[in-house]
Amino acid sequence: MHVIKRDGSREEVKIEKILHAVNRACRGIPNVEALDIAKRTISGLHDGSTTEELDNLSIATAVMLMAEEPNYSKVAARMLSESVRKEVGRDMAFRDYLKRASEHGALSDRVLGLATEDFQTIEYAIRHERDDLFEYFGLKTLVDRYLLRHPETRKVIERPQWMLMRVALGLSENVGEAIEFYDIISQFLYMPSTPTLFNSGTRHPQMSSCYLLTVAQDSLQGIYKTITDCAHLSKWSGGLGVDWTPVRASGALIKGTNGLSNGIIPFLKVFDSSVHAVNQGGKRKGAAAVYLEPWHADIETFLELRNNTGAEERRTHNLNLALWIPDLFMRRVESDSDWSLFSPEMAPALLKTFGPEFDKAYESYEREGKALKKVSARQLYSRMMQTLAETGNGWICFKDKANLRCSQTARPGTIVRSSNLCTEILEVTSSEETAVCNLGSINLSAYVNQCKFDFERLGQVVERAVTFLDRVVDINFYPTNEASSSNKKWRPVGLGIMGLQDCFFKMGYVFDSPEAKKLSDHISETIYYHALKTSSKIAKQKGSFPAFKDSRYASGELQVQLAQPNQPFMPELHYDWDALARDIQRDGLRNSLLIAVAPTATIASIVGSYESIEPQISTFFKRETLSGEFLNINRYLIDDLKQMGLWTPQMRAKIIESEGSVQNIEAIPLEIRAKYKTVWEVSQKTLIDMAASRSAFIDQSQSLNLFLEEPNIGKLSSMYMYAWKQGIKTTYYLRSRAKTKIKKTTVETPKAVTAEEAVACSLENPETCEACT
Amino acid sequence: MILNTELNLTLRPMQYPQFFKLYKDSIKNIWTTDELDFSIDFEHLRDKMSPKEAHLIKRLVAFFATADNLVAHNLVLNFYKHINSPEYRMFLGKQLFDEMLHVETYLLLVDNYLPDPVERSEAFDAYRSIPSVKLKADFCFKYMDSINELDKLDTDQKKRQFVQNLICFAACVEGLFFFGSFAYVYFLRNKGLLPGLAAATNWVFRDETTHIDAAMSAIQVIREEYPHLFDEQLRKATENMIDEAIEVELAFCSDALSLGVSGISPNMMKDYLMYCADNRLVQLGYPKKYLTKNPFPFMVLQDVQSLTNFFEKRVTEYQKGFSATKQAVVFDEAF
Repeated sequence: MHVIKRDGSREEVKIEKILHAVNRACRGIPNVEALDIAKRTISGLHDGSTTEELDNLSIATAVMLMAEEPNYSKVAARMLSESVRKEVGRDMAFRDYLKRASEHGALSDRVLGLATEDFQTIEYAIRHERDDLFEYFGLKTLVDRYLLRHPETRKVIERPQWMLMRVALGLSENVGEAIEFYDIISQFLYMPSTPTLFNSGTRHPQMSSCYLLTVAQDSLQGIYKTITDCAHLSKWSGGLGVDWTPVRASGALIKGTNGLSNGIIPFLKVFDSSVHAVNQGGKRKGAAAVYLEPWHADIETFLELRNNTGAEERRTHNLNLALWIPDLFMRRVESDSDWSLFSPEMAPALLKTFGPEFDKAYESYEREGKALKKVSARQLYSRMMQTLAETGNGWICFKDKANLRCSQTARPGTIVRSSNLCTEILEVTSSEETAVCNLGSINLSAYVNQCKFDFERLGQVVERAVTFLDRVVDINFYPTNEASSSNKKWRPVGLGIMGLQDCFFKMGYVFDSPEAKKLSDHISETIYYHALKTSSKIAKQKGSFPAFKDSRYASGELQVQLAQPNQPFMPELHYDWDALARDIQRDGLRNSLLIAVAPTATIASIVGSYESIEPQISTFFKRETLSGEFLNINRYLIDDLKQMGLWTPQMRAKIIESEGSVQNIEAIPLEIRAKYKTVWEVSQKTLIDMAASRSAFIDQSQSLNLFLEEPNIGKLSSMYMYAWKQGIKTTYYLRSRAKTKIKKTTVETPKAVTAEEAVACSLENPETCEACT
Repeated sequence: MILNTELNLTLRPMQYPQFFKLYKDSIKNIWTTDELDFSIDFEHLRDKMSPKEAHLIKRLVAFFATADNLVAHNLVLNFYKHINSPEYRMFLGKQLFDEMLHVETYLLLVDNYLPDPVERSEAFDAYRSIPSVKLKADFCFKYMDSINELDKLDTDQKKRQFVQNLICFAACVEGLFFFGSFAYVYFLRNKGLLPGLAAATNWVFRDETTHIDAAMSAIQVIREEYPHLFDEQLRKATENMIDEAIEVELAFCSDALSLGVSGISPNMMKDYLMYCADNRLVQLGYPKKYLTKNPFPFMVLQDVQSLTNFFEKRVTEYQKGFSATKQAVVFDEAF
């Protein structure tokens, strides 16, 4: 059998040669068999394969073996790193890379200047061996979508460590600072958000993750201007959250033509198509969430936008739906009262108020008979729950909590009108202001050493992270004027966390245990404290954000103080918050908002951690992404099982058979089973409690997913009512599981069950079978 | 008894609650083709496919173009007629809907993948004109036609013939032909190609799995009620039928992979089909025969939960069929 080499010549396939390359990738990694990879690679070749195919095939082979032994992930990652090196050119140095990247117009002049000044120091600081920290999936993601490519050949021209250095240089004022920041991100202590990784150091440094807009002008011109703005923002890879409440409802009068309006739905259909048409620089699909307050008379049709059936012109398959719910609505649900629906032009004060003023305005409009329709609050709430159960969409966010606890809303009329695409950003918007947020996340996995959490290191990294997030505000490229002026006025940033689950695994904590909650609180408190300290320090040098005097800081209120009247349980405090509030009143603050816990879907996989604040979804699961499907196995579990001699092919099959749950596997000790509960097995009540407690240190919000295996209206209505009472500001997806499953193809099929067994099963499940009489 | 020839319309007392449960479970998984998105596939087909892979795709599409219609046809003509359980007929109603959805899915796929109208009509004609696809269709027709004439299952021989038809469609058509084709799709997906097709396949795969389970549990009931039907003759016939199905699918494989595609070979496919066939035999209550190992570790990915990055892909794991009433709202249920 022959392979065709890169220069076109043919060469006999030799196992020794393949084995040599594989051996190098396996060096120092236990429990992996180089020979196995080499043999399997050869069996997948056909005569006339190219050497590139051969390389890819040996990587693919190692990836496949991950299902049996997770260490193959590291092997595959090394082979991939080597193949990137080949693609870039084996002899390329950092200086050559700079030259080539700038020739292709990729690098900004400032970065080029900074790097060329002292490229030797930089070259010396770059540690390619840190590629070893990547799991395969993380590196693959980086290679497929983050590394710079040649504009025509599409070949990779950047190595992973160069990319991280490019990101660091893009945010730095001098080389020393850049190297310090490079060390932090290349050791996965902290990771900037995806847009920053994509664009920092390039000619179009659009580094913000999210934009929040409101369709403030209820006119054709206003609506289409917002849609156009969204297209521009989306092009540069930002996610969108758009408030549609100000647009008049179906049946309202249009003065110009004396006709009646068709409401927001037809415009949302246009918006849906527009979002779909603009992809983010070819890198990911555009995405938007649309927000509506439940008093808007189009609310019922709005809730159906994601349904599969019904008139196509009333369906938006790409938009995410979110609800911006005032407390009054929840109180009416609780007391089982009526709820009035209005068209906004008939009830303009509802757009300008929150909290008690909103309640007053709402009730007086009701008395004046301005409502278009009355419905039962519970009936509407039930339909919200239905939408959540059926589509996972229709995210429940609480308008009053979001506003009463926001530092930006001290002056009347400044209102947070929606959250963003992932429900962790809460910032003021208006017709003049498009809110922007730059994000980054601390990787908590990296701070645990031998069951001890390193709070000191955490404080140091937070200091650097905030400094660099603040830089983004000035360096950032803003696609619209509204975004630019708003961001310079408020200078908000969003520092988040990821790998909380990894941190608990390393500490040996059960996710929903009291000690886990305590640690989680202490971590969030430390991050918020140091973030404020840093921001105040920068303010002393460079000045506060221009709107400081209009913020709640001016009266000495931090999130900790704002939380007290709004959440039933306060966590234990470790720092002197009143002193800090006074310092800030005196010295000012550089950033109006500092903390936002984002979902971290992509950056968590780059650093190989579990996402955000979430428990593991399963011990075995696959990630579906644009680059392919990837198996993710819980390495911590397998290490524990190996230590007990329990990791066998039979055990593996058992775990897959039980959908990645270990709760009913008797061979595994109970305390280990508890440690590896999946998100379906962790109490959602505790998850909400943990989020609520952490809220005292989160001045924006958190992307809180909730999980119910078998949701029904009763469970959902109880759960979201509880979340509201706990003072949660926003929730994100409701996740549930498919009712019927794909047949397991890789584990043995169980024997056919007898009729009696089948009946027994259905009896255990009375909900789906009322038939068993 | 489930093969009685006198029409049974009685749901109370319920004789076969297990079928009713299958029906109830399956209606919670309703999806529509509006949720599919082939736009990235379109870019891949334009920019990323080698001619070798493009050939494989063309063959796959040709098979998919008519396969579900064939299954649907047999469903109506044979399953519905002879499985005399109103509970099972409820399930068949849903299955028929699934098949139509799959037909529509593949129609959409063909329209997207083959912009040229001539190629499109060729794909739909493949079951007559492309030999390797025709072989598969002929295999189905053979077991379909053999009982077309049967109006009433009034002898054991006729009952046996019908059981064979059931086994053919559950174990061979859905359980091998489809499983084989899905493996190619996931193989490509594993290389990062054609996410739209893979997403559509996830939905279709889930439905097919339910269909196989349902047919297998019908066979199980027949086995309990008419043990004497399951004699040596039927066992032999079943084995032969499965052998034949593997052979037919392998002929398709050598055609689909005739240009050579790195990472997947007819030998691997053979092992895989035999591995699936063993699983089917066990489901039918027979011992394993081929004893091969699964050569496609990427199929493990289909066995585990999925965590989708919402920026990138639509999530397929939701349930349908909730009714929202004011009465259902409570605040004290455990969650």
